[in-house]
Amino acid sequence: MSAPPWRSGGTNGNNRNGAFHSVNSRKTLSSRPIHHEGTQVHNDLFFSPSSNLFPLAFCRRTLWKKKILMCTNQTLTQTPAPEQTPKTQFPDKLKDYVARTFEDCPPDEKVAVELELKRIITDAFNEKVVWSLEWDKMPLPQTILARKKVTAKEEQTAKTLAMGQMSRVSNETGASPTSPFIRKPNYSNVMDVDYPGKKRKSAGSSEELTPPTPDRFEERFDKRPRQGDKFLPTSGKLSQREKDKRAKRFEDERREYSPDSATPEVPDNKKPLIGRCMDLEKRYFRLTSAPNPDHVRPLHVLEKTLEMLKRKWRSEANYSYICDQFKSLRQDLTVQHIKNDFVVTVYEIHARIALEKGDLGEYNQCQTQLHSLYREGFKGHEEEFKAYRILYLLHTCNRADMNELLANLTPADKEVKAIKHALEVRSVLAAGNFHRFFRLYLEAPAMGGYLMDSFVARERKAAMCMICKGYRPDIDIRFLTEELGFESDTDCVNFLYDNEAADLIEQKLGDKGVPNSIRFQTAKALPLFERAKKAAFSKVDIKGQL
Amino acid sequence: MTTLYKTFRRALTTKDGALLGSIFSPENPDRGTFAFSTNHERIRGDAEYEISGLTPLRDENTRGAWVDTLVSYWKIAYILERDDGADVSWAKAYEGQKDLLLAMVRGYTKGNWPHWTLPVMYQICLSLRTVAILSDDQARRLGKTSEHLEDAARYINKAFTLCISDRAPIEESRKWGTYYIVNLMFKTYFKLNSVGLAKNILRVLPASLADMPPLEAFPKSHVVTFKYYCGVVSFLEEDYGSAETHLTYALDNCKTDSIRNKELILTYLIPTTMLTKHKLPTPELLSRFPRLAALFNPVCKTIKSGNLQAFDAALRHGEEEFVKRRIYLTLERTKDIAMRNLFRKVVLYQNEENRTKIPVRQFQIAMGLEADGDTVMRSTPERVEVEVEEVECLLANMIYKGLMKGYISRERQTVVLSGKEPFPGTVV
Repeated sequence: MSAPPWRSGGTNGNNRNGAFHSVNSRKTLSSRPIHHEGTQVHNDLFFSPSSNLFPLAFCRRTLWKKKILMCTNQTLTQTPAPEQTPKTQFPDKLKDYVARTFEDCPPDEKVAVELELKRIITDAFNEKVVWSLEWDKMPLPQTILARKKVTAKEEQTAKTLAMGQMSRVSNETGASPTSPFIRKPNYSNVMDVDYPGKKRKSAGSSEELTPPTPDRFEERFDKRPRQGDKFLPTSGKLSQREKDKRAKRFEDERREYSPDSATPEVPDNKKPLIGRCMDLEKRYFRLTSAPNPDHVRPLHVLEKTLEMLKRKWRSEANYSYICDQFKSLRQDLTVQHIKNDFVVTVYEIHARIALEKGDLGEYNQCQTQLHSLYREGFKGHEEEFKAYRILYLLHTCNRADMNELLANLTPADKEVKAIKHALEVRSVLAAGNFHRFFRLYLEAPAMGGYLMDSFVARERKAAMCMICKGYRPDIDIRFLTEELGFESDTDCVNFLYDNEAADLIEQKLGDKGVPNSIRFQTAKALPLFERAKKAAFSKVDIKGQL
Repeated sequence: MTTLYKTFRRALTTKDGALLGSIFSPENPDRGTFAFSTNHERIRGDAEYEISGLTPLRDENTRGAWVDTLVSYWKIAYILERDDGADVSWAKAYEGQKDLLLAMVRGYTKGNWPHWTLPVMYQICLSLRTVAILSDDQARRLGKTSEHLEDAARYINKAFTLCISDRAPIEESRKWGTYYIVNLMFKTYFKLNSVGLAKNILRVLPASLADMPPLEAFPKSHVVTFKYYCGVVSFLEEDYGSAETHLTYALDNCKTDSIRNKELILTYLIPTTMLTKHKLPTPELLSRFPRLAALFNPVCKTIKSGNLQAFDAALRHGEEEFVKRRIYLTLERTKDIAMRNLFRKVVLYQNEENRTKIPVRQFQIAMGLEADGDTVMRSTPERVEVEVEEVECLLANMIYKGLMKGYISRERQTVVLSGKEPFPGTVV
């Protein structure tokens, strides 16, 4: 409703430059970094620079053409000059492989397996990969045969379902399994067959909805049949028409977001995508399809982006803008599979900014990423964020994770000031020692105070319950201000007002009729605060819990 | 005919489920002879021949499923026998175990295996878990990551579905296997440190309880284990009331001589009762479980004496172990009782007539008292002066939690205690 314009994400076609204009909107081809060096001739073949200007719809229509083109390229690269060394030698691993083949060979398939094995080895020699190939990871011929059978069978079914026969056929005749090692990713496919238990999302939708991994060739162009052969028994849930409709919807959204969108570049087989967008700024847009390199900024640009954002945050402090920019920055890092200390810095800065603005949801997302980045050994301010995490777990009242965290703290960790502080907060809270708690609140190091803000209000109510029960008949407001960590008596009185306890404040007159203190009647306030406490503790908002 | 087939035929004709189950254990003593009795080419034919002619296997599907199961088991046996000792590739064995489990699942879904063969399911699920753990360990030693245990959990879940979704009349239903499999899943999830998943089972289970016999009708061993895990889950969720009920049931019904199981139950039951009933374990109880005595004695002693400094020291001393067993956060809360005991001593120290009005200063002095003599208490040698406000705060705490009856008068700096039972439940 009240979302800032750049949050509304691509709902109208020309808001791209609405909220703020690009600092650097030059997108000349010459400034593009060079990608995919020395691989994939075909990329340049049909994605000539001019095709970048083709509208998306056109691309879809000509898809099958590319498919065929691709296949011819495939066959081109597949025919090297067979050049055998005069005396043939075999690696030991290959010998083992052959031994394994015959050991596990079912009798009735022996002939076929032998043929397949022969083909594999000949191919390997032809490709000159005999020595480089990891034979111990190579699927056995019988596995490959079995797989072929399955694909052939499902192809039949796929046909009857009238699902993109064209591409399926070309796929079969072209790249696919005739030579299992020519395209490495095939292994992973074989493995998939072996791991039926691998967790998969519901059959139909997952492919489109989880874009970050750059799919390989065939999958990107040939999604439907491929899904068909993996999930055939279950994919019947959605009718073909519905699927088309949905695909179209996503397509539309993408076009709206980028009206002048260029042809999506085909990412290299294994390599993660490398962006070539030179803009420093980019609005965040939640991806619904594979990322387009034209809209993704490469690492060196992102580094500059971070510097710019830091500057802007200092000078303008516009949180909604900064948060949006950081999210797109994070997204670009994710889709390019970048993981290094710079990424840690990005998440740390965003986390701190989010903390400062009390945006715990965003903070938690950063924290989750940081958690795994630190674990993978990337450097940053791990101790500082460990301390925040303790405080965050206090906010969410997550005792199970707290136990886990305590178990993983090293003695060195416990000597760090911030962690020590956070641990003390934890222990005084457990003991119900509100006196010390509010002291610790006032002296929290780094950004800890901001985090504690999130549960201080709640703990004040809990403390009020104890005070109201413990002290009789009344209590000095001054004392409450001190004990509950308010900045002034006014703040304290406001707090009492907010909790509908204003009626219970009264002025006490001293000996000579001069008012000398403002008192608060405790006994009557107890039920009020009991109720407030219950409400405060019942709804701990856990956004994107780790 | 190797012994294994003989055992198989005997178990099937006498309907001896336990015996049948034991055949498929990776530790079956007949594993070796079975493995070397044949080869990959001939195993299927052998198995078909060896189990032919059995009346219970007249149905083709039933027989086929048993053949598949035997063939899968043979493959595992062969892997284990061929590279005996340290060279066993547990990852390979795990794949074999998975095939075995799938063959078993087919046996129940397509092969109409009767419910008395449930021990076969138990054994296969159990060994899948064991082999998964071994495989993960092996991978870790080689510096690789392996997530076979996670995978195993998913497969055991299949067995759970098999049990729970059986529509046969209850006398011959696979529902009788539910709790065994659930326990195995609990065990796996705890090993994986994902208590959340364990809670999930407890959420799913009640839906299917309606057409199941009451818990008490199940084998006692299943019930006790199940109750133990329920108790631990409640314990971790801080639902100490139900934790106490579950764990007490488990303890009461636990087999008398299974010391280890009792020890596990008590590890959680002792802190629970300390919190809910303010009861410490008796020396007699602890004397029967030396490990528990070592774990709890130092803390219990300080609670009894009300020595707060010593309590903190004891908690710090045992922290690593407590955290590992997930009881640290609970034990920490028993400090309330230590404090109650200390304040109670302060009151008892006063003359009879002064016992209803006690200066806050008295409590302050008591709280700052140095820990006496004990080794664990040496870490805080100096006298700690506690601020008056903090003492008041903790007194308010005691009053709020109902451990003390009375109120604090800040003007007079005194605690006014109730004339009757100022410390409920402590005879004072």
